[in-house]
Amino acid sequence: MATMKVNQISRDDLDWQLQYNTDRCTFCGKCVAACPFRAIEAGVEKRRKVISDHFTPEPKVQFKTVPVIKQCVGEYNFCRGCGICERVCPNEAIKPVRNEDSRFGVKYRATLADPYKRGGRANLATEKRTLDKIKVGRISQMTDPSLDASRHTFDMLAPFGRILPADEMPFDVVDGKLVMNSATPKVNWIYPIIVGDMSIGALSWRMWEAMAIAVAYLNEQVGLPVRMCSGEGGVPVRLLKSRYLKYVILQIASGHFGWNRIINAMPHMQELPGGILIKIGQGAKPGDGGLLQAKKVASHISEIRGVPKADLLSPPNHQGLYSIEESVQKMFLSLNSAFKFQVPVAIKVAASATSVSVYNNLLRDPYNIVGGFFVDGLAGGTGAANEISLDHTGHPIVSKLRDCYNAAVHQGKQGQIPLWAAGGLGANWNLAADAFKMMALGANGVFTGKLMLQIAGCVGNDHGKCNACNTGLCPVGICTQNPTLVKRLDIDKTAEQIVNYFIATDNELKKMLAPIGNSSLPVGRSDCLISVDRAVAERLNIQYSC
Amino acid sequence: MSKETVKIQGIIDGKRVSTQNLLKNVYAKLEDGYTEFEVDASGQHNIGGPLWTTDGTPLKFTVKNPGQRVGSMGMPGTEITINGSAPADVGWLNAGATIILNGDGGDTTAHCAASGKIYVAGRTGTRSGALMKHDPKFPSPEFWVLKTVGSFSFEFMGGGVAVVCGLGAEEAPSVLGDRSCVGMVGGTVYFRGNVKGLSNDVWLMDLDESDKDFLLAGLPEFLEKIDRKDALSILSDMSGWKKIIAKTFEEKKVKSLMPIRDFRLGQWVEGGIFGDLLQEDYYVANYVETGDLRLKYPEWQNARYSAPCEYNCPVFIPTQKRIALLRQGKVKEALELVLEYSPFPASVCGQVCPNLCQDICSRKKVDIPVKIKQLGQLSKEADIVFDAPERAEKVAIIGSGSAGLSAAWHLRKLGYQVDVYEQDSVVGGKLKQVIPNERLAQEILAAELKRILDKGVNVKTNSKVDKDLFDKLRKDYSAVIVAIGAHVPVVIPFEGHEKLVKGLDFLKEINKGQKPAVGEKVVVIGAGNAAMDVVIGAYEMGAKEVTAIDIQKPAAFEAEMEHARHLGAKILWPVFTQKLTDEGIVTKDGKLIPADTVIIAVGDRPDFSFIDKSWLNDKGLVKMNEYFQCEADEKVFITGDAIKQGLFTHALGDGRKAAINVDKLLNGRKLDKFEKAPVIPQDKVKDAYYHPMNPQRVEELGTEDETGRCMSCGFCRDCSFCLEVCPEQAITRKEVDGKFEYVSNPSKCIGCGICAGVCPCGVWTMYEMTEKYIES
Repeated sequence: MATMKVNQISRDDLDWQLQYNTDRCTFCGKCVAACPFRAIEAGVEKRRKVISDHFTPEPKVQFKTVPVIKQCVGEYNFCRGCGICERVCPNEAIKPVRNEDSRFGVKYRATLADPYKRGGRANLATEKRTLDKIKVGRISQMTDPSLDASRHTFDMLAPFGRILPADEMPFDVVDGKLVMNSATPKVNWIYPIIVGDMSIGALSWRMWEAMAIAVAYLNEQVGLPVRMCSGEGGVPVRLLKSRYLKYVILQIASGHFGWNRIINAMPHMQELPGGILIKIGQGAKPGDGGLLQAKKVASHISEIRGVPKADLLSPPNHQGLYSIEESVQKMFLSLNSAFKFQVPVAIKVAASATSVSVYNNLLRDPYNIVGGFFVDGLAGGTGAANEISLDHTGHPIVSKLRDCYNAAVHQGKQGQIPLWAAGGLGANWNLAADAFKMMALGANGVFTGKLMLQIAGCVGNDHGKCNACNTGLCPVGICTQNPTLVKRLDIDKTAEQIVNYFIATDNELKKMLAPIGNSSLPVGRSDCLISVDRAVAERLNIQYSC
Repeated sequence: MSKETVKIQGIIDGKRVSTQNLLKNVYAKLEDGYTEFEVDASGQHNIGGPLWTTDGTPLKFTVKNPGQRVGSMGMPGTEITINGSAPADVGWLNAGATIILNGDGGDTTAHCAASGKIYVAGRTGTRSGALMKHDPKFPSPEFWVLKTVGSFSFEFMGGGVAVVCGLGAEEAPSVLGDRSCVGMVGGTVYFRGNVKGLSNDVWLMDLDESDKDFLLAGLPEFLEKIDRKDALSILSDMSGWKKIIAKTFEEKKVKSLMPIRDFRLGQWVEGGIFGDLLQEDYYVANYVETGDLRLKYPEWQNARYSAPCEYNCPVFIPTQKRIALLRQGKVKEALELVLEYSPFPASVCGQVCPNLCQDICSRKKVDIPVKIKQLGQLSKEADIVFDAPERAEKVAIIGSGSAGLSAAWHLRKLGYQVDVYEQDSVVGGKLKQVIPNERLAQEILAAELKRILDKGVNVKTNSKVDKDLFDKLRKDYSAVIVAIGAHVPVVIPFEGHEKLVKGLDFLKEINKGQKPAVGEKVVVIGAGNAAMDVVIGAYEMGAKEVTAIDIQKPAAFEAEMEHARHLGAKILWPVFTQKLTDEGIVTKDGKLIPADTVIIAVGDRPDFSFIDKSWLNDKGLVKMNEYFQCEADEKVFITGDAIKQGLFTHALGDGRKAAINVDKLLNGRKLDKFEKAPVIPQDKVKDAYYHPMNPQRVEELGTEDETGRCMSCGFCRDCSFCLEVCPEQAITRKEVDGKFEYVSNPSKCIGCGICAGVCPCGVWTMYEMTEKYIES
């Protein structure tokens, strides 16, 4: 007889409990076959009754053994609430239900003496997002010439690269004509919404390729110059050698994974990469570093990264960098020179109380080699992190971006080092609105990662659903290298839906630009924003309305 | 009622008349009955509409130098001729007027025109014809332009006809400007010349006959109105004309973007960017798949795990297999199977063994263990034929105890010639010499000994092996098995120890019928199983009060102690003996336990005096390896209590292992360590299938009915539950040569694991496909 003891983990300790209706279940096996987490299994249960159906006591034993689907209970095999069982069940007989009284967080730590790790995103977001408290409140109504979103042409390009102020432009007047006497820093003008850095390894090869295809397609078929950042997991040589490299921003982070292949591919490149992004930190887990669990290190990952199958940690700090100045000198200079100063180089940091100081420092940039400042807020996603980092570290992006912008304005240097922001943008499924508001607050552009995964079919959310990106068992083939799971993901469909989302977003962005009368990006046009929340209005220095 | 033309002045007395006053002047003249107006304007707006006469007399305006919106909201019956150009919005919201513009028009000419005709002798500006529409209750609007229109023309056009003749603009890049026809949903735009930047909302088409008829009919009238009949011949050449019509609602829904798949196959990096790193077939799997795309796959692994009874049994007797044979009705085979493992099923399994098998029986999770002890007793009469060919090799076995006889049995079974050297006068070792009759029926033991001897085991009794004989045996025999047991009783040298009776000697005397004398009060030092036998023997010899003492928790099995207590014995611990006096035992804390006889039974040691000292370790035991092989001579094997005192079943098991390794040695094969298959995990055996039975009812059941109670751990009971429950009907039962197996077909199986989940015996196991992949 199975026994239960006090210190054993039990069903009511778990975050998710399976609601199972044995009457509706036909034992088709689909739920158990589809669950990648080994969170459910078939089993048998006793049904026993001793009854008497006479006028005098005449005991009769009724005994049945019934096959059932059961939830597994353990620190390793447990339901993540992904709901794939529910999707495949033809009879609505099974589904995960959130356990309000979960004790999993304490059980896990107390049993395994190990920090709880998971992927996904912060799970403590209970308040309405700041961006949802902001509206575009200044609409051209018999004031500014309003534009028509569907007919007007809009100049929706954002800079990736160092912008020189007018008085530093290397122009001379020779014989009454303007002559440029030296090269200006390289600037790529790109779509103001780009796909943020997600590595090969964190993502399945299908997901990564689908994004690369979508980005190429957006550029070549739709006319949106969207870029994607490679993430710190290297880049396939075939892509490095293809003409599509120009749409890819290469990333270098503390682990420097994959750069050997990038460097060796240089002589064979048909096109320059779209940019380089130095990653210092990630908004979702600042200070935690990259974490690719061994079970996701498939052979192609191992090859591209040049490391064996093991837990791969990108250190939370760059091993060779000790100061902002040194970062500029070593990383910016080196990576600018890597492509002969023809590819702009930007840097990404996790939003932090110190971001403004860093930005102020970068703004000096006497060598004109700082091509962008990417600030990543805490509401972003990640493939794997310690939960304590996900839930308890980081800085919201909105006020931080605003502060950085204001700092540049204070110096009269806004726009010189483009500001790009991210961190939970599009969490309300509307990236256009978030992007517009961030730009109005001072961003030159925004980057988005997690949303791409959600477009692709990620079933996770900000309330602890799924979030198993770290396990290598992503049920929809996005964050896994397990071939049987990766094959669930449809490259073409995923690319198509990303393309569609961008087309829709582009339309929506114009619908925001038109009413404020901007035919170019509304960078810094905070006059068009209002907030219904006084604290937000005051903090961001925008109009408070009610 | 028609009067002559009235002149309306835009400047009176050198001063410009306001639009309002000029229009009021027009209204007043209209009231006066004037219907023909000659307006000499000075930029006044909205001249020409909406105006009408009550009797339907047409209104005629001739306008010079107008402001914006000439003819706006013009009504049927109104004709407006503008001499010279006009600014924006000529014919705006035209509701039926005929407007002749003998010059260029500004932006948004014919904007929102819904009826009437607008003729323009020159060019018009941006957004001309925008939002034109056609109300079916009214004649369709027409908008004729001799030259070109500006950008964004015909935006959101919903109906009507526009004709842009492009005269003199044959080389222009676009007679419709840039981005014409955005959002156009209806109507027709005819044009002559080039166009570029046309919106995606429309189709660009060649003219059909009715189009040509329309143009050829309309052009003369248009050209007459604007007095440009000279252009007719050029414009009548229909080869330069095209028309634009709006896509229908349905047509607009069709996406014009290239399918991603085509992009990937036609333009993207050939073979994919990961094509050099991994195999990719672009197949999109369902959540539920068969074959290699399953997450897990099942394997039917009969007897992959040991049943707990088998695992716990030192002889490895697989009771689950015996019961399976019973279940198949093969009673004889079932009772004989045990003889493949042990020659003493009735004596040892059935009587003296504490039955470790039952202690761990899975059935205990439901009620009480399967009656394995009784099953052993049933094999008393069973026999098997030793059909291995006789072999020439001879093996000497020293000792005819359970280890020696077990080795002899198995060696004979393998065809070897076996000589057993026994120092005692009787065969059977301690089984025969020391176990009280109460615990082992002599008649059963005799039967089982006979069964062994009948197989041609040659036992030489009263044959003590000394150094010389041992050397000779090693020389004469292919192998020697030392199974001498432990026959030197251990004595603790406390004061008075010489008075001790040795338990082993005591029991031997009893079993030989020598009736050793005991006093009324007997103390037995030791409380192990052997000590309990001494207790039983003491009572049998007439003792009235027996006390067993031990320095630690008694090592005897509970059943043995229960037997002793039942006879009246006391078992005390911890008790430390200080000395032995004539009164009895004095303990270390000074108490006296009165005794007439004190018997010591704290263990026995083997007597290796016939073995060279150099073969022994510092504990005085023979140095050996894990194959029971003597380190000093690979042909000499040690087994049974000579290694370490244990149960009879340990001796039987070790004897069997030594025999098998002798066989392997003589056949030149690798010796065996006899590692067991892992015991089946508890949760794989499904106790939910079994209803608990009242122990009384179990007792009433015959042993052969245990087929229903045995849960057949790890060993298929052939119930075919898996076959019936498999949702994909993937499982079949195959039978070849009387052996059956269940097989899951990978092309049907979805890897749900239901077979493994419901299998009562735990025979099906699920494996991760992932690991298969990752390993590869």
